[in-house]
Amino acid sequence: MNNSNKSVIDTGRKAAVFAACILFLFFIFGCAKQPKVFIKKLKNKNYQLIVSGRPFVVKGVCYNPIPIGKNHEYDWWSDSRKPWLVDGKLMKEMGINAIRLYQVPEDIGKVKTVIRDLYEKYGIRTIIGDWLGFWEYPCPLYGDVKFRERIEKQVLDMVNSLKDEPGVLLWILGNENNYSCIGTVNPWSSEEIDKEPDPQKQKRLRIKTYYSFVNEIAQKIHEVDPNHPVALGNGELAGLEYAKEAAKDVDLVACIIYRGKTFGNLFMSLKATFDKPILLSEFGADCYDAFLKKEDQNMQAFFLESQWRQIYENLAGQKRGAGNCLGGIMFEWTDEWWKHDDSNPDSWNVHDTVSNWSNGSYYYDIRAEGNKNMNEEWFGIVSLSKNPDGGLDIRSPRRAYYAIREFWKNPNLNNKKKKAKSK
Amino acid sequence: MKKLVLVLAVMALALPITARAEEKAAEAAQKEFVVYSDKNARGNHYIPSGWMGDYGDIKMNDQSADNPKSGTTSIQFIYSAKKSQGQGWAGVYWQNPANNWGNKKGGFDLSGMNKLTFWARGAKGGEVIQKVMVGGIKGTYPDTASVEMGPIELTDSWKQYTVNLSGKDLSYINGGFGWTITSDLNPEGATLYIDDVKFESDASLKPEGKKQEALPFYIYSDRSSAKNHFIPSGWMGDYGDLKYDGASKDDPYLGDTCVKIIYSGQKTQGSGWAGIFWQHPANNWGTVDSGFDLSKATKLTFYARGAKGGERIEEFKVGGIMGEFSDSDSAVIGPVILEKEWKQYSIDLKGKDISYIIGGFCWSANVDNNPEGATFYLDEIKFE
Repeated sequence: MNNSNKSVIDTGRKAAVFAACILFLFFIFGCAKQPKVFIKKLKNKNYQLIVSGRPFVVKGVCYNPIPIGKNHEYDWWSDSRKPWLVDGKLMKEMGINAIRLYQVPEDIGKVKTVIRDLYEKYGIRTIIGDWLGFWEYPCPLYGDVKFRERIEKQVLDMVNSLKDEPGVLLWILGNENNYSCIGTVNPWSSEEIDKEPDPQKQKRLRIKTYYSFVNEIAQKIHEVDPNHPVALGNGELAGLEYAKEAAKDVDLVACIIYRGKTFGNLFMSLKATFDKPILLSEFGADCYDAFLKKEDQNMQAFFLESQWRQIYENLAGQKRGAGNCLGGIMFEWTDEWWKHDDSNPDSWNVHDTVSNWSNGSYYYDIRAEGNKNMNEEWFGIVSLSKNPDGGLDIRSPRRAYYAIREFWKNPNLNNKKKKAKSK
Repeated sequence: MKKLVLVLAVMALALPITARAEEKAAEAAQKEFVVYSDKNARGNHYIPSGWMGDYGDIKMNDQSADNPKSGTTSIQFIYSAKKSQGQGWAGVYWQNPANNWGNKKGGFDLSGMNKLTFWARGAKGGEVIQKVMVGGIKGTYPDTASVEMGPIELTDSWKQYTVNLSGKDLSYINGGFGWTITSDLNPEGATLYIDDVKFESDASLKPEGKKQEALPFYIYSDRSSAKNHFIPSGWMGDYGDLKYDGASKDDPYLGDTCVKIIYSGQKTQGSGWAGIFWQHPANNWGTVDSGFDLSKATKLTFYARGAKGGERIEEFKVGGIMGEFSDSDSAVIGPVILEKEWKQYSIDLKGKDISYIIGGFCWSANVDNNPEGATFYLDEIKFE
């Protein structure tokens, strides 16, 4: 080897080392700049949730472990028996990777304990919501400056307190608050809106007012916490045609939806109106047949499996779907025995079978009296029963627990084809 | 001799077997299976025994010699539209055996067939059959298929109609043929003739794909219009507060009639609201797989007016029925405050998936915004 050749090789080596260093620095720099949790828009315009640098499908469950005999005012966060530890273990075994909390209490220390326990022991992340004053009395006043400032401060305080918890996955603002703009739940108005004589325009004004309020909060959360996406909680897709202008800074839509075995055109419809990724933040099925008046775990498992199949069909990269779904959060982990008659403490000890509402999409028991087929106290993936030893209520996984666990292990998106092959 | 006896005995035994085999082969190879050809024809297989709805409004002459299509007779039906049983509709099923509503084993295996043809005419022309049916009888022994076609506006001369049965499971058909008629579509009654009803095998026929409906697709044009689709059967909320007149002559926007709705606001069922869904077929809350593919439409338009002006309708809606067979989408406008004069309203369907619609149109109103109730009119409801 002559000297000139050696010199060329040395120069080449130096260049390669230099390039490798630059790439390494880019990598380090890139990783350091990347938020912990973010949504990536792919080249094919599909959306993907990225957590710690990897695609993440939300396999979640709504969590509100109210024990038998208590109602929603019960402070389970202070329960020394730590029900979330029992639940977290069962959840992990099922494959659940996230829980949803609708609202957290003021005592942030207790919230941190729950988030940390679930994340550190079971790898389960927490989605944190805020009602945005939806259940306040009198009705929420989204046009009122003081009301907005108070709610905004409440949310930002919560975000600032929890944003550095490694177990936090994302924030959800509101739940079905859009229905208050349509006037179906907790209707509200303002002087400006009242001046408008056309009720359709009134509705539009309310929706725009509410969504712009959510947008303001989302902007401020992004300023203080660039590491977690902010979702707009919404009942169905109602009103979202106005969100394109009024709420363009939210990162995703968290949709509450009860449509039985199919979500219909939900994913495509959102793409056409408000092109943001979607997380099905509350869906599910009860397991009580209000017509035959008996528990039917198969019915619940059937609906949930069908719903999860649709969620998977609409994840990024799937051929048939819209590619805008980030996952789902089932309603809910345990039954809640207080729900049928909140004002009667005696009934909190009884697993009521009276149906609260009607939904034809859950058609197996729609022939129930008055077509009321939805049993609010029977939505749990696990059932509760009293513990004779006085400990935590006993958790018994229902059929849906096992059906969804198996689906997640091996998502079968075309049931018919698989059955045909197995013959 | 013994041998001869033996041969004869074998032949005697073998002949009936051969004959049965030939009969079966002939059945398998047959190209048609007659429901009705002529009164007392040996080939008739079903009996027009299943009278439905306002059966008192129907008179049947199963040996009408008045210009039969073929042979010596056809069947004449006279429908009076008097609503004898208060239903507003009537019809007849051809069954086997007679009066079999699925409670006994009967019917035929028609697996080799793939269409039903029949000839029909009206006495005057313009008579409207709401629909004809093949199969569809339920019960303990349900038909394996249910196919409907219609509405059919008859002419005064014989015309042949075909129901495509390709791809359908015809292995058990007790309701060989049926038709229904309504007083709305035939307010003055109707006289119609039917002849030569038969199942046939047609190798060239292909299964009917889901077809996109042509536009305009009417929900309500006029009371008697054969163009109408969907039935205003889905009464909701305080249904006792509602009066529906599908033939109001109170200044219709177009044609002879319009829809008049009186909502008393008396909370008869305690709901505080009421509404009506136009469904297909009647009373289908997502239990029957029968949606129309209206994908070509970009809007639904209709005319509306209030009796006084100021009546407030919370929602006008397309789709949104949820059940085992849900509407593929929904679109809503409202609240709408009606004016005293006719005004056209439009529900935008652009970007909506209306490929499967069983709830064609709907309105709802409440007593909070109509404390003294509301009387209002609708006309020319159509997909465009």
